[in-house]
Amino acid sequence: MLRSTSPLLSLFAFLLCWGAALVSAVSITGNRLLAIFDEVGEKENYTKFLGDLESRGFQITYETPKSESLALFHLGERAYDHVIFFPTKTKGLGPNLTPQILVNFLNAKGNILQTLSSTTTTPNSLVSLLAELDITLPAERTGLVVDHFSYDALSAPETHDVLALPPPAPVRNDISPLFSTGAPKDALLAFPHGVGAVLGPREHLTPILRAPKTAYSYNPKEQAEVLDATDLFAAGQQLSLATAFQAINSARLVLLGSAEMLQDKWFLAEVAAGPNGKPVKTFNREFAKRVSAWAFQELGVLRVNWIEHHLNEVSAVNKSNPHIYRVKNDVTYTISLSEYAYNKWSSFSLPANDVLQLEFSMLSPFHRLPLSLDKAHSTPEASAYTVSFKLPDQHGIFNFKVNYKRPFFTNIEEKNTVSVRHMAHDEWPRSFVISGAWPWIAGIGATISGWVVFVALWMYSAPTDKKMGNKKTN
Amino acid sequence: MRFTQSFAPALLLLAGVAQATSWGFDDGSVSVVAKRAGDAGSKERFTSKTLVTKPVSLGSTDTLKVSLTAKDNGKGKRPHQAFVILKEKETGLEAPFPLTVKESGKAVVSITHKDLPVQFLISDEPLEASIILGSFGSSEALNAPVFDVKLQKDPNVPLPSYEKPVRYGKKEDVHHIFRADPTSPPKVISIFFALAVLATVPVLLISWILLGANLNHLSKAIGAAPVSHATFFGSILAMEGVFFLYYTSWNLFQALPVISAVAVVTVLSGTKALGEVQSRRLAGER
Repeated sequence: MLRSTSPLLSLFAFLLCWGAALVSAVSITGNRLLAIFDEVGEKENYTKFLGDLESRGFQITYETPKSESLALFHLGERAYDHVIFFPTKTKGLGPNLTPQILVNFLNAKGNILQTLSSTTTTPNSLVSLLAELDITLPAERTGLVVDHFSYDALSAPETHDVLALPPPAPVRNDISPLFSTGAPKDALLAFPHGVGAVLGPREHLTPILRAPKTAYSYNPKEQAEVLDATDLFAAGQQLSLATAFQAINSARLVLLGSAEMLQDKWFLAEVAAGPNGKPVKTFNREFAKRVSAWAFQELGVLRVNWIEHHLNEVSAVNKSNPHIYRVKNDVTYTISLSEYAYNKWSSFSLPANDVLQLEFSMLSPFHRLPLSLDKAHSTPEASAYTVSFKLPDQHGIFNFKVNYKRPFFTNIEEKNTVSVRHMAHDEWPRSFVISGAWPWIAGIGATISGWVVFVALWMYSAPTDKKMGNKKTN
Repeated sequence: MRFTQSFAPALLLLAGVAQATSWGFDDGSVSVVAKRAGDAGSKERFTSKTLVTKPVSLGSTDTLKVSLTAKDNGKGKRPHQAFVILKEKETGLEAPFPLTVKESGKAVVSITHKDLPVQFLISDEPLEASIILGSFGSSEALNAPVFDVKLQKDPNVPLPSYEKPVRYGKKEDVHHIFRADPTSPPKVISIFFALAVLATVPVLLISWILLGANLNHLSKAIGAAPVSHATFFGSILAMEGVFFLYYTSWNLFQALPVISAVAVVTVLSGTKALGEVQSRRLAGER
C-alpha cells in the first residue's frame, strides 16, 4: 500500500513524534503553559488542578496582567502554546493581552482556557475576545447563575448559587461523550458562583455544560431583590456554563463559567443536589482534567495517517493513488485515522450515530457516501475506513474529499484530486453485441458479397443470346 | 428538665420539617385578549394541581395574559424567580417569560406572537406552559405545568423566515444518478431486418442468373493472363479481408500499410487484368 507522503518522510516524522513523545507525554501542540492570575499567590487555591497539569507534562509559567515581561509572542513566534486566564479584578488586561493579540494567538494555533467568576467582573479584553467568537456575557460583565431546584444543599442552602449538576451528556446524540464517559451514575459537578454565557448560532461553538432548565442568570449587585421582567439575561438551557470553541485551524478556546470549580476546595468537597439530595463527592477533578485536556489538545485530536485509492476491477492494474480514472470505474478509497488521548495515538472509532463521509466532488458532490471500518487495514494505533463505489458518468477533475468536522474533534479536511476521463473509442461494447446494429452489419455483409460477385461477373461473364436490347425493343 | 432539653432539638427539627415551606400560587388564570374591542376573549383558571384541560388558542394579534398570586407557605410574597416557561414539545426548546411581581405576590405577564421565538411560530405543535416560582432560602421551589397554548396562525401574515443554523455533523448521503444506458429495439425486430437485408443477396444472384450471368470467359481470361487475373481478384478479396481484420482486431496504423500494399498490388495487376478484359471487348467477344 502506497502512502500519501513519501515513506522516508513519514518515517522521519514518525521518529520525530516518537522522540517528542518520549521527552514529555503531553499535548501534541506543545507544553508551554501560561497561567494568568491577579496575584501569583492565588495559585495556592488551585494546587491540585495545576499539579495535575504539571504531572501531565506541562511547564507552567505564572504571570499577572501587570507584568512588564508578559508577551504571548516572541519575534513573531508564539512564546506559549496554551494560556489559562484565572479571574482578574482589573478592568483591562493591559497592552500585552489586547483582544487583537489574543485573536492572533488563536490564529497561531494557540489554545486558551478562560475562567470566569461571579465575584469579579470580567476584563474588557476578554469580553471583546468572546464577542469576536459570538459568545455573549451578561451585561455589566458580571452575572450569577442560580437554580432554586438543583443547588448544593450543603454549601449554599440559602443562596442557591452553587449548582450541583450531573456530568454533562452531549447536546446531540452524534457527539462524542468526551466529558461524561466513565462517570459514576450519581456523580455530581459542583458549579460554584459561576457565570453563564449565551452562544451565537455558530457551528464552531459547542456547549460542554449547559445550565439546568430551571436555572437563570441575574446581576447580584442590581437585581438582588427584584429581577425585573425586562432585564432577564437568559435562563434555562440557553445558558452555557462551559463552552467549547474550535477555530477552523483547530485552535481551541474553552470558556469555563466558574473558576472556583477548579479549586482544591471543590475537588474535595461533597455536594447534594437540592434539599433532598444525597451527599456525593464532586466529579470536579476529573471534569477539570478533561476540560483542560480538551482545551490544550490532549483529547479529541485526530490525525490522518494515510489515504489510498485504487481501481477495484477484475483484471485491472492495481496501482495505488493513480492520477486518472475513467467514468464508471469501480474504485475503492481508504483513509486511516488515529486519535490522540493524553499521551498516545490510538485507533479512532466514530461516536455512536455519527458517520465518516467521503465526497466525490467536482464543484458539488456527485457522491457522498459513508465509510465503514476496514478491519484488515486497521491496527491498534490506527483505524482504516473504506468505501467502494462507481465513479459518476461525468468526466472532469474530481476530488476525493473527506470533510470531517465535528464538535470536540480537530477538523479534518482532506482533498485528493484525480482526473476522470471519458470512454476511449475502443472501450465501448463492440457493434456485434449490440442487437440494434445487426441489420447494419448484415447490410455491410450483403454489400461486400454483392461487390465480389459483381467483379467476377463483370470480368468473366460471356454474352448470351438473350439480349437485353431485344427485351427492350419488344 | 433533662427530658425537655433532650427533646427540644428534636422538636425543633420536627417543626423544621413541618415548616419546610414551599412556594405556591393562588388565583392562577390565563386569558386571551383580542385586539379588537367587543371580543371578550376567554379566561381559564388553574392551580398548581389542576391543569387547564383545553389548549388555549392564541391568535396572531391576541395577547395571552397569565396572572397569579405567588405565595410562600400560604402568604403572599414576592419570589425572585417567577417565570412562565413555554416549551415546544417536539424539539424541547424552552423560552422563559418572567412575570412582573408586586410586593404582595401578585404577578402578571402578557405574551404575544411577537415575543415568541421564531421556532415556536413555525412549529405546529402546541406549546406547553409551566410556572416556575422560586427564591432564595429554604422554601421549596415550584415547577408546575399549567396549560397548553395552541398558536393560531393568520394565513394572510407570512411566517417569518427561519434558516436552521449550520451545525457540524453528518450530512445527507448523495448518490449519483447515472444516465440510462442506451437501449436497443427488441432482438426479434433486429433479427428480422438483418435477415431481410441478407435475403437481398440471393435475390440479386438469382436475378443475375436469370438475366444470363455466367463465368464462361473465366478459362479464356485465365489462359490469356493467368497471373494478373488471379492476383487482381485475390487482391480484391484480400482488401475485404483487411477490412474484416480492421473491424475485429487491428487498429488503423496496422491496417493502413497493409491497405496500401494491397492497393499497389490491385493497381499493378488490375492494369494487366483489365487490359485483357478490354482486348476481349475490342475483339467483339463481349
